[in-house]
Amino acid sequence: MVGPIYIIAVALGLAFVMGLFGKSLKNLSEWAMLAGLGFMTFVSGQWLLEFMNNTRAVETIFTAGFKPPYSINLQMGIQEAFFTFIINVVGLLGGIYLFKDLKQTGPNAMMVFLVFVMSLNVVVMTRDMFNLFVFLEVGSIATAGLILLNNNGNALQAGMKYLIATGIISSILLVGIIYAYYFSGSLNIDDILAANLGASKVTVIAVFLIYVSVLLELKPFPANGWGIDVYTAANPGIGALVSAASASASLFVLYKLASLGGAEWLNYIAIIGGITFVGSNLIGTKQESPNRLLGYSSIGQIGLLTMIVGLSNILGEKMIFIASGILISHYAAKAGLFWLSGIINAKDIKGWAALRKSPFLLFLFGTFVFALIGFPPFPSFFGKWELIMTLATGGHWAWMVTILVGSFIEGIYLFRWLGYAIKLDHDELPDFKIEWNKIFPVWIMAIVLYAVGVYVSPLTEGGMFINYLPLMFVLFLFAIDFLPIYIKNTVSIGGIIWYMFHIYPVLENDLLRLIFAGIFLIGGVLTLMAGYNKKGTRKGFYPMAMMMYAGLIGIIESSSMLEFFFSWELMTAGSYFLIIRGKRSLPHGYSYMLFSIGGAYAILFGFGLAFASGFDTSLAALGDINILPTLAYSLLAVGFMTKTASLGLHIWLPGAHGEAESDVSPMVSAILLKAGVFGLMLLFLYMDRASAGANNLWYVLGWVGALTTLVGNMSAAFQEDAKRLLAYSSIAQLGYILFALSIMTHLGWLAGFTYTINHFLFKAILFLVVGGIVVKLGTHNMYEMGGMIKKMPFSFIAVLISIIVIGGIPPLSGFAGKWLFYNAILEKGWYFQGALIFFSGIVAFLYLYKLIHSIFLGQLKDNHRTVKEISAWILVPSYILIIGIMIFSAFPHWILKPIETMIAPYFSSQALMWDGTKALTSYGYWDGTTIMIVVGTAFVLLLTWLIVLSAKAKKIEQFNIVFAAERPFRPETTHVSYNIYAGYKKALGFVVAPGITIFWNVVSTFVLEVANWFRRIYSGNMQNYALHVVLYIVVFYLIALGGF
Amino acid sequence: MIKKWIILGILAGMGLIFFDLFSAFRGNETLGKTADYYARHGAEEVGASNIVTAIVVTYRGFDTLGEVTILFLTAAIISFVLKIRQEDILPNRPIRITSELLDSASQVIVPVIFMVGIYIFVNGHLTPGGGFPGGAVIASGVLLMILSNPNFSVSHKVIAWVESISGVGFVLLGVMGILFAGGFLDNRVLGLGDFGKLFSAGIIPFIYSFIGLKVGAELSNILGAISHAQNEKN
Amino acid sequence: MEYIAISTGFALMLLGLWGILSQKNLIKIVLGFTIFDTGINIVMVSIGYVKGKAAPILDVINASEAANKIVDPVPQALVLTAIVIGLGVTALMLVYVLKLHREKNSLDINSFKDLKW
Repeated sequence: MVGPIYIIAVALGLAFVMGLFGKSLKNLSEWAMLAGLGFMTFVSGQWLLEFMNNTRAVETIFTAGFKPPYSINLQMGIQEAFFTFIINVVGLLGGIYLFKDLKQTGPNAMMVFLVFVMSLNVVVMTRDMFNLFVFLEVGSIATAGLILLNNNGNALQAGMKYLIATGIISSILLVGIIYAYYFSGSLNIDDILAANLGASKVTVIAVFLIYVSVLLELKPFPANGWGIDVYTAANPGIGALVSAASASASLFVLYKLASLGGAEWLNYIAIIGGITFVGSNLIGTKQESPNRLLGYSSIGQIGLLTMIVGLSNILGEKMIFIASGILISHYAAKAGLFWLSGIINAKDIKGWAALRKSPFLLFLFGTFVFALIGFPPFPSFFGKWELIMTLATGGHWAWMVTILVGSFIEGIYLFRWLGYAIKLDHDELPDFKIEWNKIFPVWIMAIVLYAVGVYVSPLTEGGMFINYLPLMFVLFLFAIDFLPIYIKNTVSIGGIIWYMFHIYPVLENDLLRLIFAGIFLIGGVLTLMAGYNKKGTRKGFYPMAMMMYAGLIGIIESSSMLEFFFSWELMTAGSYFLIIRGKRSLPHGYSYMLFSIGGAYAILFGFGLAFASGFDTSLAALGDINILPTLAYSLLAVGFMTKTASLGLHIWLPGAHGEAESDVSPMVSAILLKAGVFGLMLLFLYMDRASAGANNLWYVLGWVGALTTLVGNMSAAFQEDAKRLLAYSSIAQLGYILFALSIMTHLGWLAGFTYTINHFLFKAILFLVVGGIVVKLGTHNMYEMGGMIKKMPFSFIAVLISIIVIGGIPPLSGFAGKWLFYNAILEKGWYFQGALIFFSGIVAFLYLYKLIHSIFLGQLKDNHRTVKEISAWILVPSYILIIGIMIFSAFPHWILKPIETMIAPYFSSQALMWDGTKALTSYGYWDGTTIMIVVGTAFVLLLTWLIVLSAKAKKIEQFNIVFAAERPFRPETTHVSYNIYAGYKKALGFVVAPGITIFWNVVSTFVLEVANWFRRIYSGNMQNYALHVVLYIVVFYLIALGGF
Repeated sequence: MIKKWIILGILAGMGLIFFDLFSAFRGNETLGKTADYYARHGAEEVGASNIVTAIVVTYRGFDTLGEVTILFLTAAIISFVLKIRQEDILPNRPIRITSELLDSASQVIVPVIFMVGIYIFVNGHLTPGGGFPGGAVIASGVLLMILSNPNFSVSHKVIAWVESISGVGFVLLGVMGILFAGGFLDNRVLGLGDFGKLFSAGIIPFIYSFIGLKVGAELSNILGAISHAQNEKN
Repeated sequence: MEYIAISTGFALMLLGLWGILSQKNLIKIVLGFTIFDTGINIVMVSIGYVKGKAAPILDVINASEAANKIVDPVPQALVLTAIVIGLGVTALMLVYVLKLHREKNSLDINSFKDLKW
């Protein structure tokens, strides 16, 4: 074992010796520096390992051979080992990253670099107050020097601001220290902590001075203009160190001194952290410069960690886990992002689209963004989870809201940025060089994030049950991403089929889950089949699609809330990447993500309340929420409804589904939306049926469902874009499902299940086929289509059958759904809502007619004379789905009977009886098989009759002017179905006025304007920044101690 | 105008804090816990008559190492920040002529200044003084040389050697403390000697000499760099 | 005695702070810092003062006598360190000012506002 003191001795010795190297040994100095950093990493790593294996007690290092408090002592415990290790690692990697810059500046810069890292080690280890001050100063001076590695005007100004601000802060600290010494008679931190200076009205002033300066070192909002400028102007390699290493060390100082004042002070710390977290992220939303944005984000994250330190009394022993999970994510992601920024060297975040020149960089960028937000499988996910659960247990709603709001705001700018990188045009952007020494550290940090995430997950309660198998598959697909489509497609389909067999025995006795697993997995296989149609390698598609399916199946499999949330987030991440792949999907993918994060946080809050109610981590905890149950139910419902796109939360869907790639649309529409339905079903089954809150909520949701249906159908009817029409139709169909489930009767749920299965079947067909047609014809606009019936007869039949199902026309299964639905409405007595639903059912005919008519009937367009039927790879899955429809229509009892048995225990009256294939209610009966036979026979008879008749008919060619009208030049004015419902639009258009879109636009503009207003305090004047610091001290003093 | 009032308001706030600090100070009748220990045992344990030196070099020697590091850092930063590229050097800077008096006097006085500086740091454990004042005095000699002779340039080589050897020496003496005595920077590597003699107090005189040399070298380095920076073209 | 010293220290700190916050010339701001630092140093030394005691330099080893003879040596040791740190920071600031002046040929603090928002 090498003693920790050698970290300091070797670093300083090397730094001092470097001056001697002279010209002959000049090239040695950078290697000497790296060797020194490597040695430091080794020593701290070795201690960390020892502590993690529990083979050592805390080690105290006595300098000068005397016992404290008479001499300075350092301490090496597991926390110190952890912090010094992460500092030294980022120091070593940063040294490698800056290798060439440092070499260019010369040995002096290397000495400064080495001493900088060393000083942070001492700051972490020291147990002496004044020694802490000295090495904090060493650190700040070294930082002020390293800022000047970028030798330009901006760096100079930033460095000067930094010097002025830290000069004031450290002076205040010094006064605090001397008073602490005066009051306690010792400079040893443990002695000072034991002196309990916070207890007396006289001595508390020392506590104040020490706290305020330590907090100011952490750059609290809004007295942090000086810190942000450093991030903006310094070399990103230095930004990475300041953000990852210095901030960690300063945070550890706060943690060391946290018990200095007592509980009341911890409160202040938490408040200051919370304000910083929200405020700094808020201003980040207006940022365009990457480094500055990273600066705001860094400060925000440190604010969150400060808050966690402040909440240490509340969080108890969980605090270490939470803080380290969030810290390590911030640390690795921020260092990685700063380094990436240095490689790309763009002035504007839009310039990051250049990343696409190298897909691996995009992968790294995505990793860091998701890690910062707290997505699985990164450590911050588990940290945030535990944080919310623990806060909920104590009933600290305000803190929970603060954390979730701050995180959401962070998502606003991080996902905008990621979206730019994925979508914006990058042909014009300048090239950049990727040097090995710059990319290597970034990779290490990304690997750290994944590895630590997987390592910490079993440490959370329930985390050991998380199934990483699907994620391994995703990783594997990443590895083979360079292969052609047909191989990856086959591998993916094979993977899903294998998983079906794997999961079937598990779910055999759980019909609810089995049905959804069927939708997700069978749907997955069928929609993936359409992928054979595409050519090339389709980079990134398969890992992301599989991530979505992994999430979906994880939701089904999960038995605990943690697993559920883990999978939910995984699904969100995967589907986001799928959606944003569409050509014009940038804004839609972005709004999808924002609604998803918002929804996820609502769910998280709800889970927190559920956990707090009975300390049960399983999903069954939703069944006995006794803390604010109505709020919890509502939040969970809203969370799930962001995925089902119910009215108010639906504005992301039309664009997201309409602009997605042809085989992605069915995935995200027919399949993904069902995740929300599954969530709602789980929730509704668990909700306390006797409580007034639950019943009110169902009543409200019933109305929401009915209105969603109306608005969805009306909007669909007025669409000219074929895929958007289908997207609005999805909104409406999910509205039906929400309505049916909210009825909360036996019949209602049967109807809900029927609608769910139907929607899956027909919407997959429609999006597959229409998507294929749209690609074939090169337009989304229905008025540019027409006459396709002869060119694409198979597509026509597929669409026809689907719309028969949507329309609820016998004999197909849509009728079964409607029949159950109206029975349920009558039984429940929701007549007003029923009338609304009935009315929207009629509107549905309008858009269905428009869809099939404009595409397949009418005149063939000139430029479409040579088109052929769409690919068999699309038709085959569609026809398999049609077979599914036929079976479900003819033998509905095969599925409905078991469902009935399953839900029977949940509902008192069994309103539906079966008599063979006949379903009976008090309002009548219906027999799917008989109807199928009758209608089928009639159809065959009529068809034969028509064929016989048509033998005598005269065929008329399109341009036979005796029969035909004029030839269309401007398709939209002459196409019969263009704006076909103008009359209705005039009368009822107000229903579909984009009121909700306007509402959300106003909300987002408001947030951005607030951010814009606040950031004006960052005027750029260094004297003002000094003023902010002093003002912060004064205000804090007046609030905390103003009374005495 | 408003800003002026804001500043006054803030200063008033700070004034309030300072006033509270002032009221919290009640004077001292006796020594505190740590100070009392140093007074009672300092001379005996460390062997230095100057208790402040005992604290600075031994008890809190680690702080002093940090302090030296700060000077070292500052000098290193200044020299890379003010480094002038060859092509930016002014070919012939107008030189201000030094008066005869200053020139001659400095030649006489500089060696004396150096001597005094050395005396101060060598006797740091016995008298008020030590490495820092001693080093500063030496640097003042260098300053005088720069002022009296505008063409004087501080030899980088000499400074680098002095700087490095004294720095490494300091660290090595510290490490010897771990190996041969109680811990890093323990002065009892050598015997404590006779109280009050020049060679006493263990390695304190040596450490202080290294500190003195290092401080002198660093400060001269800073002065040299700033003086040299005038040669840059604007 | 110590009360006068400590209040002088605080007064100097305020004065320095006033300079830092209100002066427009960068050199004067740096001077403000040195005044501020000096004030702190005076406060520190005053805090270590014990009524009627002498400087902590001993002639003979005599534990009990020494404890009654000298003022607190710790703040003095700390001040020594603080002075050196202050020196380092001041030197660095001055070099920054030098470079800033080269950059824009101005010492006015208002001419360095390129980074904002």
